[in-house]
Amino acid sequence: MFCDEALDAVEAIAAGDVTPDGRVAEHLTTCPNCAAALVSARALERMLRVRSIPKPPAQFTTRTLARVRRARWRSEQFLDVGFNVAIAAVVLTVIAGVWILLNRSGLIAVSNDVVDLFSSSLVAFARRVGPSLPLYAAATALLATALGIWWWAERDASY
Amino acid sequence: MEAGNERELVERCRRGDEGAFQELVDRYKDLVFALIARTVQDRSRAEDLAQDVFLRVHRGLPYFRGEARLSTWIYRIVANVCVYDQGRPAPPLSLDDERMRTRALAASDRQFGDLELRDRLEKAIARLPSNYRLVVAAHYLEGVQYEDLAEALALPLGTVKTQLHRAKQQLRRMLETDLK
Repeated sequence: MFCDEALDAVEAIAAGDVTPDGRVAEHLTTCPNCAAALVSARALERMLRVRSIPKPPAQFTTRTLARVRRARWRSEQFLDVGFNVAIAAVVLTVIAGVWILLNRSGLIAVSNDVVDLFSSSLVAFARRVGPSLPLYAAATALLATALGIWWWAERDASY
Repeated sequence: MEAGNERELVERCRRGDEGAFQELVDRYKDLVFALIARTVQDRSRAEDLAQDVFLRVHRGLPYFRGEARLSTWIYRIVANVCVYDQGRPAPPLSLDDERMRTRALAASDRQFGDLELRDRLEKAIARLPSNYRLVVAAHYLEGVQYEDLAEALALPLGTVKTQLHRAKQQLRRMLETDLK
């Protein structure tokens, strides 16, 4: 029974947290098992104190910051996609609502006339605009290029 | 690190100042890496987990209220990451073969024997439960306050001390023959 008490104290004695009192000290000098346990505990304590301290690799900070940037970019992309999907859902809901409303109120027949009118206007418009189409195409390409350059510059502007 | 400087650093990080976050990583990387590498004992895995810690720090900074010290909060993240990683199997240890080989080598070359013993200590530590491993890793690491560790693990100081005591008891039993 006393061995249990002494064995329970050997780690604390080896670490210098406690000083063995008379009874335990005496037991540790007379009991070979407990004395051996104290020797082992002291050896373990020494080994733990001189245990090597692993150092991070030289590129650790750079690699960590790169990973943080990647994670941030991914989360922003996710947010953008979520926002676009939400907007698309709202637009589709509005269109569906308007269509249902037109159907129920009998205005669909009127709307067909409006569509015909709109189609004929569109054809007339296309005939007028046709000759200037290359000019409009060039302007659109110029605008798209400018927007592309702006997007590219914004992408790397901040972290 | 002084509380004022710490708050300022956190504020700069929150504003998206990459230089400030780099400063934070540079300041804590040695401790974080040492703690994790001592706990998981695999350098490449340790680097991965240490990066995870800083990633979580970066994500969590907007919600860090500053009630605890920054270092304590970071240790808490380290503890969580290490506990989360505990599902990985520990390196195998074939006691009889290795013990005989270690003894034979130690008799002929004491220095090599010491290396073997250190290796056996690392393997024995790897077999401890993850919370014991973390306590052993942190206690013998300069710069980690005992109180910080208790706060990080959300445990009373006495419990942390008991865990350390039990961890050392288990280690002594595992290495008993080698240590004599």
